[in-house]
Order: sequence, then C-alpha cells, then structure tokens
Amino acid sequence: MRCPRGRGAQWGNAQGPPKGTTGGRAMSWRKQKALQIHQALTSDPIDIDALRNAAVSEGGLLSQEIRRKVWPKLLNVSVLSLPPKPGPSIRCNHRDFNQVEMDVRRSLRRFPAGMPDAERSVLQEQLTDMILYVLQSHPELNYYQGYHDIAVTLLLTVGPRLGTAMLSSLSTHHLRDFMERTMDPTKHMLNYLMPVIRCESVQLHDFMLRSEVGYIFALSWLITWYGHVLSNYHQVLRLYDFFLASHPLMPVYCAAQMVLMREQEVLRGDCDMPSVHQLLSNIPKDFPFETLVCRTHGLFQRRPPAQLVTQASLHKYKSVSIASFHSLLHSSSSQRPDFVLRRQADPEPGALAPPRSQNRLVKLAVWGLSASLGAAALAVTQSALEWGPEILLGLF
Amino acid sequence: MMSAGPSGDEVGLESSLEASITSTCSFGPSRARIFKIIVIGDSNVGKTCLTYRFCTSCFPERTEATIGVDFRERCVEIDGEKIKIQLWDTAGQERFRKSMVQHYYRNVHAVVFVYDITNMASFQSLPSWIEECKQHLLSNDVPRILVGNKCDLRDSIQVPTDLAQKFADSHSMPMFETSAKNTTDHVEAIFMTLAHKLKSHKSLILSQPPENTVQLNSGAKTTFPCWC
Repeated sequence: MRCPRGRGAQWGNAQGPPKGTTGGRAMSWRKQKALQIHQALTSDPIDIDALRNAAVSEGGLLSQEIRRKVWPKLLNVSVLSLPPKPGPSIRCNHRDFNQVEMDVRRSLRRFPAGMPDAERSVLQEQLTDMILYVLQSHPELNYYQGYHDIAVTLLLTVGPRLGTAMLSSLSTHHLRDFMERTMDPTKHMLNYLMPVIRCESVQLHDFMLRSEVGYIFALSWLITWYGHVLSNYHQVLRLYDFFLASHPLMPVYCAAQMVLMREQEVLRGDCDMPSVHQLLSNIPKDFPFETLVCRTHGLFQRRPPAQLVTQASLHKYKSVSIASFHSLLHSSSSQRPDFVLRRQADPEPGALAPPRSQNRLVKLAVWGLSASLGAAALAVTQSALEWGPEILLGLF
Repeated sequence: MMSAGPSGDEVGLESSLEASITSTCSFGPSRARIFKIIVIGDSNVGKTCLTYRFCTSCFPERTEATIGVDFRERCVEIDGEKIKIQLWDTAGQERFRKSMVQHYYRNVHAVVFVYDITNMASFQSLPSWIEECKQHLLSNDVPRILVGNKCDLRDSIQVPTDLAQKFADSHSMPMFETSAKNTTDHVEAIFMTLAHKLKSHKSLILSQPPENTVQLNSGAKTTFPCWC
C-alpha cells in the first residue's frame, strides 16, 4: 500500500502522487491504480482486499465512476438485490418522519452549488425516501441528526437504489451504535478518542484534559463521517473511501490523528474549553487530507482498539458496530463480479424462463443503475472532470 | 462548491462565521470577562439563526441542522467594560440533549430557551427543556430568558403572545418575541439586555474581582417588556 511519509511545512507532506513525478507520470500512476481496481472488480470472486487497499491507499478510489462500482462491494451490496422503488406509503406514520423531513429540507449545502432548484428537490425527495426506507425496514434503528449527511453522500455518488442498499448495510454495521435509542453507545465510541491521543502525545492529552474540552467537538465528525463539517466535497469523498473500507472506529482514530497533526496549534492556544473547542471545530480548508488518511491508517495499525480496550472506560461496553464488523469482512470476501451476476440473472435463449421474482429483480436493477448513473452524472460532473475521466471511462 | 458567497445581508453560514470568529474579539481574551450562554429549544425553532444574527449581524439564508453543539462568540463593551459573550448553539433533537448537551451546562452563566411562535409543539416542549435545565444547573439563580422566534411569519402564528407571557411569568422569566430574519426585531437588544443583567450579577465573576459599583441600564430583576 502506497503511503507518503510525512514531512514538510506545517502538517507534513502535501498530498499527491509519488514524489517528484511529472504530470505525465502522475497520470500513468492513476491509470495503473485504476487498472488494478478494475482487475480486482472482475476477478471471481472479487478481490475485496485489493479494493480495500485501493480505497485506503493514496488517492483513494480516484473517481466517481470507480466509487460507484467499488463502494457497494465494500459493504457487500449486490446490484441485483436492491430494495424496491419506494411508494408513498413509506412516509406514513414513521416516528422520525418529521425530523427527517426537516433535516433534509435544510440540507441545501450538501448539494452541488448551482444545481437548479427543481433537480435538487428531486434529489431531496429521494434522500428522504432512502432514509425512511431503511428506518421502516429496521424498526430497531433510530434516526439521528447527521444520518442525512451520510445518506446524501451515498445518494450523490451511487444514486438512490444502490444508495439505499448501502445505507441499509452501513446502518446495521458501521453506524449501528449511533442509531440506538440513546446516544450512550456513541459516547462510548468517542471514549476511544483521548486514549488514542494519549498513546501518541501525553503532553497534548494532558493539555486537553486540563482544558475540559471533552470530545463533543468530534461528535459531528464521527456520526456524519465528516460530511457535515467539510465544505470541500472531494475531501468528503476521500474520507468515505477510507471509512467504507475500514473498521467502524476509524473515524475516531481520524479525529485523534487530526488533533495530533494540529498539536502545536492547540498547545499555543488558551487552555480552556471554548478556545480548544473552537480551534478544533474549525478544520483548516487546506488541511492535508491525504496525509491524514495515511497517518490515521498507520495509527490504527500501531494502536489497534484491542490494545486500548484494557483501559477501564473502554472495557465495559460491547459495541454492536465493532462486533458486526468481522461478519461484514467475512461475508464480503465471497462476492461475485457484477458481470457474472448479470449473466446468471439474464435468461439465455431457449433456456427455461427464470422465476418471476428474479426477472423483476433484473428490471429493478436496471432501473436502479440508470437512476444511479443519472444522479451521479448530475452531481459529480465537476469532480469527474478534474480526475481525468476520459482515461477511466475508457477502462470501464 | 458548497458555501455561497456573501450577498448583501444574506450570507453563507460558513464564510461569514469565519469572519466573525477572526474579527470579533480584537481585545485580548485575558482582559475580558466571559459570559457563557447556552441556547436551547426544539429542532428548527431558529437557535442557529438567532445566535448567528447576534454574532454577525446577518441572517444566514441557509442553515443546517446543528449536530451536537456549535460555538459562536462576540465581544461587546458595556459601560466601558469589555465582555466576551459566548453563545453555545445546541442540537434540537431529543437524543442529543439527553446524553450530549449536559456537558455544555457546565459553568454556564445564562440560558436562552427558544420556541417557534408558528409551531405550538415547540412551545409545549418548553416545560421539559426547563426541567432538564434545572437538573443540569447547580445554581438556581442563573438568569434564564424565553424567546419566541419567527415573529415575521405573522400569518402562521400558533402561540399567542399572552399565553407565552403567562408561561414566562409563571417561571419568572422575561419573555421576548422576535425574528432573527428582520433587522428591526431586536435580537441584538435581547442578548445585550441579558449581558447587562449578567454584568450586574455578583456571582458571575471570572477574570476580574467583584465590581459592586456598576449601574444597570436596564432592569435586572423584573420581567422585561415584550417588544413585538
């Protein structure tokens, strides 16, 4: 896995391809990575470890086109088992409907600037449907403000149908602890923050403890996977690549690493709760996210959760998110490539007619794929252009 | 791609929030007394808009749900004394207040309860907010005020002023109706009145020795007039 070593001005090495490369070589590096991802996607079974490595390593999943194919695989979501198109009944009588509707209505900032109101309204309706579908099909899950920030990122990248399936999988795995009846399990996850910081810098840990800043500054980072706080959509996508491929506690490690990278800034400031909270809440626009991802990955390897769990505060609670992660890892290791699945679902001439339900599934999948394509194209034109789509589109 | 640029009085939340943070407290924090005020109430009653209006003098055209707690501050000068007013803008969803917001009640100097005058449910939630506040605050004499927001939406009023006033009286709180959207609706005056009240409060001494000689410009004990 490629990972730049940190060095340089304030936070370490700037993001980018291998050092000293020219534009041409950088492009070939991307092309090579895209090819490897393509090979991992088409091997049978899918090479899920290679996809995870690609999502974590430098540059992440490179483009929206690739994300649209890889993100579902990271969660073991098949394009042929998507939820049905939601009907109007989905909005009836759900206890969280008003809150969801209110939050989605106010989520304008999460849609691309300049998008016509009519188009955004359609996407907002789809966003509400996505969230309510998952909540309806899992009555044990509770909506929280910030869940919509995760859902919108999925919607804008993979479209409503795949997005719903992904959201459903995420909600029963990575996000499960946030969706309990109370936020106590969320607090438990945040309890890892200070011990991780302490492992790396006792001085910073003690300073923060003295300031009584607590961990609430990192709450929205954790439960929205930074979608709520970053204004740069590329940064959000890069982090989602990373988190989708990682352990549920990775956003907490990421928070710890972010604080560690700003250690000098924190220590120079006042040692009181408002000052530290305010400083940390304002993530600099030019923060080097590529370096952050790389170092967070290293931090997690060096200080795995099992090593921290010996501490009293972390010992007594069983996290469903963490417990279910291993089963997700296991189940996602035997996925078939999309083209194999489609061939299986597609009846050959002269063969017996497939069961009706399967046929319907195919239609739904096609509908979902076209809808995903539409939304993705709509949402990410700018970013796709920046990543050089002509080469990547040629590959897929 | 996400934040709107400034346009007149309506500014993208993010861009002008930064401006407020860098520009507000030009006098050093060590010399100013600090008043910490927590703003609570149901989801979508306008807590973010109110605090934003006071700290930047602008109405944010696009606000989002607050996740956890947001922090805004503004430095003011009252009777020649420099004071830093810190507003803690909290999430409205019940699950946040149950387990997260309590952290922010620590060392709080005043509480602002907000409801939406066009939403009766937000008014009916106030007793539970007040009850929770009592549980979190160590002292009973922390000043509290009640603010009915969105009074620019006159056609949709659901909470009559006299009903709100009676409720406020029964809890010994001053009550205001206002609109964070209209520049004429005294958001500034509400928070400044609170700041005056805090300034006179003997128990609120932080970075300076007690000052017993300060004269108040506005009422310190009795209920305040409703300006709407």
